[in-house]
Amino acid sequence: MDVLTATLAWLLDPIHWSGPDGIPTRIAEHLAISIVSLAAAGLVALPVGAIIGHTGRGGTLAVNLANLGRAVPSYAVLVIVLPPALQLAPTLGYEPSLGLSEIPTFTAMFLLAIPPILVNTYGGLREVDRDLVEAARGMGMRERQILFRLEAPLAMPVIVGGIRTSAVQVVATATLGAVVAYGGLGRYIVDGIARNENDRLFAGVVLVAGLALAAEGLLALVQRLLSPRGLPSAGEHAFRNLAEVPAPPAFLP
Amino acid sequence: MRSRRMLALGASLLVLLSACGTGGGSKPTIKIGSDGFYESQLVAEMYAQVLEKAGYTVERSLALGARKVTSPALEGGQIDLKPEYIGSGLGYYDASKPSGDADANAAALQEILSGKGGGITVLDYSPGEDTNAFVVRPDTAAKFSLTTMSDLAAVQDELTWGLPPECETNPLCAGALTDTYGIDFPPANLEALAACDAPIAEALQNGAVDVAELCSTQPAIAQFGFVVLEDDKQTQPAENLAPIVRNDFLAKLSSSDKTAFEKLLNDVSAKLTTEVLTELGVEVAVNQKDVADVARDFLTEQGLL
Repeated sequence: MDVLTATLAWLLDPIHWSGPDGIPTRIAEHLAISIVSLAAAGLVALPVGAIIGHTGRGGTLAVNLANLGRAVPSYAVLVIVLPPALQLAPTLGYEPSLGLSEIPTFTAMFLLAIPPILVNTYGGLREVDRDLVEAARGMGMRERQILFRLEAPLAMPVIVGGIRTSAVQVVATATLGAVVAYGGLGRYIVDGIARNENDRLFAGVVLVAGLALAAEGLLALVQRLLSPRGLPSAGEHAFRNLAEVPAPPAFLP
Repeated sequence: MRSRRMLALGASLLVLLSACGTGGGSKPTIKIGSDGFYESQLVAEMYAQVLEKAGYTVERSLALGARKVTSPALEGGQIDLKPEYIGSGLGYYDASKPSGDADANAAALQEILSGKGGGITVLDYSPGEDTNAFVVRPDTAAKFSLTTMSDLAAVQDELTWGLPPECETNPLCAGALTDTYGIDFPPANLEALAACDAPIAEALQNGAVDVAELCSTQPAIAQFGFVVLEDDKQTQPAENLAPIVRNDFLAKLSSSDKTAFEKLLNDVSAKLTTEVLTELGVEVAVNQKDVADVARDFLTEQGLL
């Protein structure tokens, strides 16, 4: 049986659709860590990006720092965070298994998700026509109002584009969590390699790719819906993405 | 004309005499290789140093890679000598052969290697071995009075197990635990972590798992004072270390030199206990000391240099 047929057979086998190692459980785990990491990254990167984008101050520094962060491989973050996360468990009173799996995976995904959101938020706001901003200021709008009523809506497609890039990267890379005993779809990939079971391995690959594409599609839709109507460049904006970066590095166990 | 011929004959006789005579003359060059990780490299370096002391010229090709690389290199004569694990080395040729019995593994490996690359000899294996080991923290060992793997079955549900992702399908892991030791697989509390790796050792040290599959000479065992549970029913393959050497190299030696050569390497093997390998592993892999320095210090201390 060739790999494709074997993978398809594996995916269609009902035994793989239930229980703690079943596909629904693994997808739920995968989405949980991805959504939490992405939300946390948004909570940090959106305000920071908005402030530096609006004021124009510290932009170069922040963008360079964010790009520096891109150079640190997620696997390295995982391995670096693991020992302190385990050692702090008794002091901070959390379960050691959190320090083993969830905290390192979360940290790696959190750091991975920040740069595209930050860079796009900053860039999106900076791209807003300065004449419009000056006009708003001349009309007596406060800085807050300029940010929320003028700049943010106009920059929204670009900002969502950053979130979209982050989401795809995080969903694809959260597979790494399986190396430190986290669940998620990476379990199939890591277990498939360890057991030399290609059907399991490729089923994991197909599921991760499918989930990443679903995230991409969903956020592309959001991006389109949030594009201000009548904006001349709306159509162009919808698919423009300042933080478009090369695909995340191939999975390295 | 005649005198020149006589001269040539005399010269070649002299060469022959010096080659096989006293043993004080020049010794052949030996090419030593090793697998790609520190322990294999360290032991190969020990072989190299004792042989250099005895007057051999050594060409080192250490850390060549996995057995897929080193075994063909030895068979093809790119290297003459390497340290080999008698279980995995045997498993490379016949996965069904390795057992928990070191003598049987060494004998079976010798039988196979006799027919490879014009003949390869397995010298004496070390008392120490680098095999799969099920390991606990000292506090767990004391609490449940664990010394052997047979002690685990009764308390299996009270422990969190750190087992590799392939355990389920590996007869040496789930197979041995279930069939031989009566432990349910999967255990009630399981974390899937690669064996012999840093994260699993960290997880054990910090209580995220209570029993973990490590390698018996893994530096973390000495570093953190873990307790290795005795594999009392011999489920894991015997992985003692033995020098394996090409017969065509041995054939270059006079019989007295050959005996001395084998004794040099066998003396090194005799000193390599599991504890020694673990402690030297800490020096190399944790303290990042130079392999050659660690080998030299150890051999000097043992009176082999």
